[in-house]
Amino acid sequence: MRILSYIQLYFRLVSAGIRAQMQYRFAFIMRIVGMLTAYAGTATTMWVVLYRFDALGQWNYYEMLFLFALAIVSWGFCIILFFHYISLDTYIVNGTFDRFLVRPINPFFHFMSMRFDVASFGQFIFSIVVFLWVSVALSIDWRLSKLLFLLASIVGGVLIQGGMLVMISALAFWTTKSNWFYWVVMFPARNLNNYPLSIYPKVVQWIAAFVVPFGFVNYFPATVILDKTPVGFPAYIGYFSPLVGLIFFTIAYAIWMLGLRRYKSAGS
Amino acid sequence: MAIIEVEHIRKEFKIAKRETGIAGALKSIFNRKFTIKEAVQDISFTIEKGEMVGYIGPNGAGKSTTIKILTGILVPTSGKVLVNGIVPYENRQQNAKNIGVVFGQRTQLWWDLPTIESFELLKEIYQVSDKRYKENMDTFTEILGLDEFINTPVRQLSLGQRMRADIAASLLHDPEILYLDEPTIGLDVVAKEKMRQFIQEINRIRQVTVILTTHDMEDIEKLCKRMILIDHGQKVYDGAIDTVKNRFGKMRTLVVDVEENGKDLVLSGGELIRVEGNRKWIRFNRDEISASQLIAQITSTHNITDLTVEEPTIESIISRIYQEGLSEEAPVSVH
Amino acid sequence: MSRWRIYYTFAKKSFLRSAAYRFDVWSRIFSNLIFLLTWSSIWIALYGGKEEANGISFTSMLTYVAVSQFLSAVNSAGTPLWEIQEKVRTGDIALELMRPFDVPLRYLFADFGSVAFYIITAVLPVYILLFLIFDFSLPDSWSTWVLFIFSALLGFLIRYAIELTFGLFAFWLVETGGVVDLFYFAMSLLSGSVIPLWFFPDWLQSLAFYLPFQGIYFIPNAIFIGEISGAELLVSIAIQCFWVIASFLLLRIVWHRAANKVIVQGG
Repeated sequence: MRILSYIQLYFRLVSAGIRAQMQYRFAFIMRIVGMLTAYAGTATTMWVVLYRFDALGQWNYYEMLFLFALAIVSWGFCIILFFHYISLDTYIVNGTFDRFLVRPINPFFHFMSMRFDVASFGQFIFSIVVFLWVSVALSIDWRLSKLLFLLASIVGGVLIQGGMLVMISALAFWTTKSNWFYWVVMFPARNLNNYPLSIYPKVVQWIAAFVVPFGFVNYFPATVILDKTPVGFPAYIGYFSPLVGLIFFTIAYAIWMLGLRRYKSAGS
Repeated sequence: MAIIEVEHIRKEFKIAKRETGIAGALKSIFNRKFTIKEAVQDISFTIEKGEMVGYIGPNGAGKSTTIKILTGILVPTSGKVLVNGIVPYENRQQNAKNIGVVFGQRTQLWWDLPTIESFELLKEIYQVSDKRYKENMDTFTEILGLDEFINTPVRQLSLGQRMRADIAASLLHDPEILYLDEPTIGLDVVAKEKMRQFIQEINRIRQVTVILTTHDMEDIEKLCKRMILIDHGQKVYDGAIDTVKNRFGKMRTLVVDVEENGKDLVLSGGELIRVEGNRKWIRFNRDEISASQLIAQITSTHNITDLTVEEPTIESIISRIYQEGLSEEAPVSVH
Repeated sequence: MSRWRIYYTFAKKSFLRSAAYRFDVWSRIFSNLIFLLTWSSIWIALYGGKEEANGISFTSMLTYVAVSQFLSAVNSAGTPLWEIQEKVRTGDIALELMRPFDVPLRYLFADFGSVAFYIITAVLPVYILLFLIFDFSLPDSWSTWVLFIFSALLGFLIRYAIELTFGLFAFWLVETGGVVDLFYFAMSLLSGSVIPLWFFPDWLQSLAFYLPFQGIYFIPNAIFIGEISGAELLVSIAIQCFWVIASFLLLRIVWHRAANKVIVQGG
């Protein structure tokens, strides 16, 4: 199938999913409220942390909020598109994965369209509110170029975090531990990434830049937008966020397809 | 040309040996030991277009492995497979366009969406024309009564409804081959009958080749003319079901309840295979001796209070074949 | 008293079960350490080289973080709340209600078992190592150690009772919305798990003093680093005891309601 048909099909699948979820309006709204509450909680904790101190490693409260919101906005898209990937182990164990291989379309794409968690859109409310608030408080000059860069780095963030979810998912083809891996490794790591990278030991910073590129999700792009210097890294490093995302996601996709090939020859 | 050709396929699985204890866990990181399990040792068969074949065997025999290879999900370790002229695991998408699959217990439909949405999505995925889509949907709705639940989300459907939807979905794109895995499992008697009728019609009218794997021997008996029996990864029997019944279905079991009088039962031509209190099971070959002759032998020494004659079901015939293997009289492949 | 025999058996069973699933159990220490890394880095950056802030020395603050994460590991080793909620929801809990023991106590003792395994085989070794490598301040008298352990145990009990109470209560709400998140956030912040109460704004500090959460992390942490001593220490322990009793009473009431609902309506 050609790319255009895939996109068409994806939209169809997604709209069907949205329509299905919209039937449960109350639950839908409650889930959004839940997410907003959780994020508000983190933002409050950050405020309390900084109450008696002025800054965390030269990041003041508003700058930290921005950093946090930037991570959330791309994570929001990630949840919608890729979160069910970490449950691939369940699909395989239950035998419900095989049906994706019996249809004449690319299995990665088919699996991706299986769930479209619409309620996660609620996260954007938080991020948008924070972006607006912080922009005023810090008097950010939103030139068109800066706005475009923000969008590009959000795309980068989606690709990087999505790529991580895909890689974790691929684990299911070799072991049955994909879900576990997310909660034990990625979840704490995401929490770590809510704070400026500069406060962590050099090893961690290096890993977050060159191995598992968390830094490019929010920290490096934020340094560009907020005109801060990323300690120990060149000032322009944030610009690479979309490119890093693209490369990382491509690698993740390749690993997933490799796992699929192994699954087809090794069974389960 | 046969629509499915399977030649000497073999499938090995490497199963990692699990070591216990901490030392074992550490060891296994550096040096994994494997045992090799042969799920399919050597299987060959051909299936012509329009056939309805029962593909049966005990659990672990290699049935689902074979089906996975045929549908392109699994790659065989060696051997050749051609489905409609193409190699399924090499041209997975091409092959997929031409097959329909129903996995008994697990639905192929979108769980949270109304049933009709699944059909519309499949229409897109398989690129079914508007005209053909309407025709098929009309047919299925009429025969399977889909309109009763077409707008209900799949997860709210009863098992019978879901299976009707599943089988309709598998045929929406007019595949030439249909793989059915336990299509009547969990259904009540009436629903089972309806499902079987539908499968028969599909096979008859549309000339769809059907491969049926099931543990329900009634399905096999009612639907298939031919059966392929596999065990331990090898083909044990491949031929007409009637032949199996004739060749192996000659044995009968006479079950009698007798009044005990201390005398031994004297039989010629029949074999006492089981005794429980007053009840005795006697096996005999109906070609060699008749039930009434045996009964006459028994009444000469005992009073019979109750009796039945049991005919073997396909199930018992097959379980005998599993347990005892085939006798020399029976050739493996009979067409 | 044979009753206690039963509870002890649950603890033992739970301990052995943890041993069987030790891979899953030990992997938890990994995420615990990432959180430890996160928060110690935050506090190091906050202090920014200063020797003390708000009356708390730098070493004491880092010790606070480490002890808090230690207790956090201990507190996370019990039966996941959703398991119990699921049993109540499906009515399976009825099976346990028919037995001759108190169900919340039974789960508490089961937690003792799994926590014991986790502490002995994973948490203690790792944290002893950390304390040897890094320059943390240790209590200088035996009595402080004893009081710390006692206080930590009280904190565990408070957390157990409150969390289970809330879990049961929350499951009655059709869609909890933000309530669950609000609860866990409040517990996380107001317990002083990552920020000691001394660094709170005054009004928040007062609020926290009236809530049971401070008994879970703040009080034992503060005892360990010696910031609470003498009369104040005894008062704090008394406060904890009060909250243990209060929270278990509340648990009893809510549990009774839930059990009745299950028995009468079948879940």
